[in-house]
Amino acid sequence: MIRFLDFANHTLFWYYLASNLGYLTMLLVALKTSARHQRRLESHRLNWIAGTPLAPPITVVAPAHNEERSIRVAVRNLLELDYPALEIIVVNDGSADRTLEEMRAEFRLRAVRAVYVPELKSALVRGLYRSSVDSRLLVVDKEPGGSKADAVNAGLNAATSPYVCVVDADSVLERDALLRIMLPVLADPQRVVAVGGIIRVLNGSEISQGTLRRVRLPRKSIEVIQVIEYLRAFLIGREAWGQGNMLMIISGAFGLFRTDLVRVVGGYRPNAIGEDFDLVARLHRHLLDQKADYHIHFVPDPMCWTEVPSDLKSLGRQRARWQKGLLDVLLLTRGMLFRPRYGRIGSFALPYLWLFEFAAPVIEILGIVTIVLAAVLGVLSRTFFLQFLLFGYAFATVISIGAVLQEEITYKRYNDWQDVARLVSYCFFEHFPYRQMHMLWRLQGIWQYMCGDVAWRPLKRKGLQSATIP
Amino acid sequence: MATAFEKLWRLGPAAFVLKAIVVAVVADGLLLAFILLRRAYRKRYFRRRDTRVFELRQQWDDLISGKIPYESWRGNSFDRRIIESIALDAFEAAGAEESARLLHFLRSSGLIEKRIFEARRFTGWRRLRALVALGRTRAPEGIPALAEALRDPELEAELAALRGLGRTASPLAAQEILIWLAEKGLCVPVLPLQSALVQCCAERPRMLLPYVQSAEGPLREVLGRVLGEVATPALGLDLVPFAGDPLDELRAATARALSHSQSNLAFDVLSELARDPAWFVRLRAIVSLGKFSLPRMIPVLLSGLGDSNRLVRLRAAEALVTYPGALLPIFQKVVAIGDGYALHAYLTAIENADLLTKLETELQSSHHLAASEKTHLGAVLSSGSLAVEELSSVGASRAATRA
Repeated sequence: MIRFLDFANHTLFWYYLASNLGYLTMLLVALKTSARHQRRLESHRLNWIAGTPLAPPITVVAPAHNEERSIRVAVRNLLELDYPALEIIVVNDGSADRTLEEMRAEFRLRAVRAVYVPELKSALVRGLYRSSVDSRLLVVDKEPGGSKADAVNAGLNAATSPYVCVVDADSVLERDALLRIMLPVLADPQRVVAVGGIIRVLNGSEISQGTLRRVRLPRKSIEVIQVIEYLRAFLIGREAWGQGNMLMIISGAFGLFRTDLVRVVGGYRPNAIGEDFDLVARLHRHLLDQKADYHIHFVPDPMCWTEVPSDLKSLGRQRARWQKGLLDVLLLTRGMLFRPRYGRIGSFALPYLWLFEFAAPVIEILGIVTIVLAAVLGVLSRTFFLQFLLFGYAFATVISIGAVLQEEITYKRYNDWQDVARLVSYCFFEHFPYRQMHMLWRLQGIWQYMCGDVAWRPLKRKGLQSATIP
Repeated sequence: MATAFEKLWRLGPAAFVLKAIVVAVVADGLLLAFILLRRAYRKRYFRRRDTRVFELRQQWDDLISGKIPYESWRGNSFDRRIIESIALDAFEAAGAEESARLLHFLRSSGLIEKRIFEARRFTGWRRLRALVALGRTRAPEGIPALAEALRDPELEAELAALRGLGRTASPLAAQEILIWLAEKGLCVPVLPLQSALVQCCAERPRMLLPYVQSAEGPLREVLGRVLGEVATPALGLDLVPFAGDPLDELRAATARALSHSQSNLAFDVLSELARDPAWFVRLRAIVSLGKFSLPRMIPVLLSGLGDSNRLVRLRAAEALVTYPGALLPIFQKVVAIGDGYALHAYLTAIENADLLTKLETELQSSHHLAASEKTHLGAVLSSGSLAVEELSSVGASRAATRA
């Protein structure tokens, strides 16, 4: 027993060290990549791209479900995006409220029979409407499909552009977001098949008429901690994975794809829990099966701002769902593991996700149990235990401060001194008890998945309208 | 011999955990200090810069007219960077007269000369900045320096030079790009190259022809695409030989370019290209035919409406609704095709152009149509489906049988 506990505690230590060293490596890669990206941006004048006749058309697909409070602002925001050839498709996913009526009134929608080829699976389409105010806007009204994937598929069926950008109707996009996300495509249209955009936390910021006026840090601790998490996940994690062409997740709130490829892989899987992750995994698989020379990029410029849960219950639900989505995709892609034809995805990215994303809550919770057991049995070295805690704490803080530094030296959206001071101080406070709660939510997600509980539960959100300043 | 795992096991965490704590704590401290110091420095720098920008803007007219001697600020890199940045920003949004004034200022103050020097002398990041600035000036004297940078080993510098040359929109720059392409082949991403060539060749598209003829492989496709973009009516007949080119992209470019030439020959060639095996060639041909707006194009456009590719169908339909005088006859012909996809595309275009009410009115008030045909067409129009028409015809034939 004692030998087992000793072994378990050692394993926990090495696991923890490897996980943090992985993140440290990613931080260094991300810092280097960001610096290069910033320099590259100097030579890309976005207004030059906006004027080129060669910019390929984009269809923006925005699914909306019960968004009556914010839909007007959200659609107006989309119509104001800077891009020379744009089509906006809003999919009203069986809203029970006045979402469609709000759009009908604001954009003078008239029923049309636009070409809709039901190539991808989605619930029945009730009608198609085009705006008389701005003919670029098409609204697809459909029966509730029960998932975002179903709604996006309906939008994809109506899309007529070679590139499709999927956004959340309740997110705020910066005006030049499409120009920025298209930069990798314009630089190498043959190879770049998808581009992920960064998602930043909207809570606390000031917006007016769907446009971000001033970026501020949220007031609530739970929201500030999520800001740090997002910085760490996007500015370090995805930036580094993208650099190695191993990006496995393009956030559903803002991502660009080649339309033909999305159609070839069957669009979004309606019963997928993490539909964004699932789509990218299938794209990788398809392209690697075809032995295609391709790249899935990540663009770290701040472009898309979204509201994050502001209460523990909603956050817990969200994180449990993310963990279920992860497990769902990992199980579906298990055939890719360690197979040479899947290259670095099969031999590096997926094993990493299994080991450090899926298994993390299980190993950490088991670790805590063995440490307690060792303490009870009197075989725990108290000095070493304290040193281990201190080391883990200091190391994890390095990563979090590194993420803040990355934001600070590249995009610097938090201009207020107070905001930066709070952000940095939360880097020290997030490890307890938030981290442990997070682990429990993820464990709950795994358990729910194993019990077959994959139902989507709504999260409490305030909506864009509520954040609008007078 | 011990395994790697055993070695690791023997090493034990305690061997370095204390050192690791110290390293991590020091790293935390350093990162924090860096953030704070950098913030403080930048705050000071931007405050100073904003103040200076305000002062210089107040003296702007005197500065660019030379009333304030150029020598007084040229030696000060802080002021020089601000003035150049204000001038280049203004230049991008300026009209013809203001552009000439700003260009004169950039020349006489020596700012362009300095950037040319930097673009030639420096390497790496500094060269990149000089190239971008030089491109933004659109000054013809910058072309040789930009052309030299096309031979830079760094891809980013090549791209910056290419973009800069594109900004000059000068045939001279196009010549430099084409010579470089002939030397090195296609070695940069396609879109920046196409974009630069489209800008530079717009004035003299004919200069592309010999290069298109001699180029091979992907480069030929790229040049063909550019040719399609910049072609003018004057080039019409020169392009006809490319209509039979084995390269799909070049046939597509020809189809695109012929939209400018309203000759009989162009019509014949485009009608032929509208039946091309490559869908995007057919698409280009249909789009070009749509621009002609001549009634004799209608049969070709109607055949495009029955194309297997939905984009071709859509564009054909969009072209067909631009004949408002022939709305009802065209609708009759669309229904007569008996293709549900063609009907769908046509009705989509009618609705997008907000012509549905007009078509309904024309149908109701038509004196040339028999009542039964009116009913059929009305049913097809309201349901958007051929099934109704088929059902009605089945119904009519049954009624005829009964009679």
